[in-house]
Amino acid sequence: MAKKVVAVIKLALQAGKANPAPPIGPALGQHGVNIMMFCKEYNARTADQVGMVIPVEISVYEDRSFTFVLKTPPASVLIQKAAGIEKGSGEPNKKKVGSITRAQLREIAEKKMPDLNANDIEAAMRIIEGTARNMGVTITD
Amino acid sequence: MVQRWWEITVTCQAEAEELVYWRLQSFGCQGTATQQQQGRVLIQGYVPQQQMTLLDIAALGVWIEQDVVAQGYLSPKLHWQLVNEQDWAHSWQAYWHPIPVGDRLLICPAWEIPPRDNTRLVIKLDPGMAFGTGTHETTQLCLEALEMQLDQTFEPLPPTVIADIGCGSGILAIASLLLGAQKAYAVDTSDLAVTATHRNAELNGIRADQLIVRQGSWEQVLELVDGVVCNILASVIIEILPHLPAIVKPKGWGIFSGILLDQADRVAEQLEQQGWSLGSVWRRQAWCCLNARFERLPD
Repeated sequence: MAKKVVAVIKLALQAGKANPAPPIGPALGQHGVNIMMFCKEYNARTADQVGMVIPVEISVYEDRSFTFVLKTPPASVLIQKAAGIEKGSGEPNKKKVGSITRAQLREIAEKKMPDLNANDIEAAMRIIEGTARNMGVTITD
Repeated sequence: MVQRWWEITVTCQAEAEELVYWRLQSFGCQGTATQQQQGRVLIQGYVPQQQMTLLDIAALGVWIEQDVVAQGYLSPKLHWQLVNEQDWAHSWQAYWHPIPVGDRLLICPAWEIPPRDNTRLVIKLDPGMAFGTGTHETTQLCLEALEMQLDQTFEPLPPTVIADIGCGSGILAIASLLLGAQKAYAVDTSDLAVTATHRNAELNGIRADQLIVRQGSWEQVLELVDGVVCNILASVIIEILPHLPAIVKPKGWGIFSGILLDQADRVAEQLEQQGWSLGSVWRRQAWCCLNARFERLPD
């Protein structure tokens, strides 16, 4: 018989650096998950991607066991990488900090597509474009 | 003093998750937790209390509202509260109970009493925020390997010094001493681990001259040891292997774990290149533990 899932939690974490501090402690502690065990497994699976944010979706079962799958990095992280910037703008309307091409935008949308709440690639591109705009990153043709 | 954190919760449409993540991150949240809730998503970010004022949180709320509404999504809801670090540290501990490991050991949480009929060696443990609770497959494999290396069934153990590199809670170094080692070094780059190891040494009545606890890596081991145990990660083990000849005696033993099954070949290859002879590979679930002997590098 399949075990019953009691919670599905997505965490956005620094690859290879998970520890019991927030957000992991509060998110998993409330479900009785062995936090150290999760950290160890996450760090082992992401050790070769240190420096990136690698989200993880964790399914917690009724016996407090868990499984997890790694997801694609957040759009903002991919945008920063594509634009070659370290961080976004604090005042995106006034100060632009970089740009990406429409082709790069599509590439990011394609990469993120499995994890986005979007029905087609155009909808995914609109989500990514919105994030880029709020970061002070412009889209060029 | 107990560390306190601002817990900032944003409830919004799923499509706005990326926008909210970005804004939380730009205000210092170093990670987020997201859960689905009645067709919307609930995103939680955390910042140490001293790094953010109520004015900052108000400004964050304005930015998130503006970001989300400008994209044509429904207005998000934001609320915040202060939470204590201890609140969650204890919640999972309530589910942790004494567990027997191998043939001789019983790992017992510091807040529990061992069973009255217990005949095993008891390791009292309060891991705090450090790794090493005894429940993970790799820790159990290492403990069983230590039982094998420090076995006294047929002859008394000669004076044995071991080094636990990446000691976490100190569980492996403490187990070595309880199993008969004369002295152990426990080193870890994390200060949390050093603190936890000191606390656990005290819980188990280990003297300071038996267990040398230092922050750092192999270079903190100040003498040649008879055995070394490394329960870290495959990549870290490969990094430190070239340095181990400086601290391990010829014919000394090594226990290497924290290694996923698909990483075992890579570590085994490096071990052989660095003068180790691989004795056995123990597997449990997706993990393995390599037992090896140091033969010295050819001249």
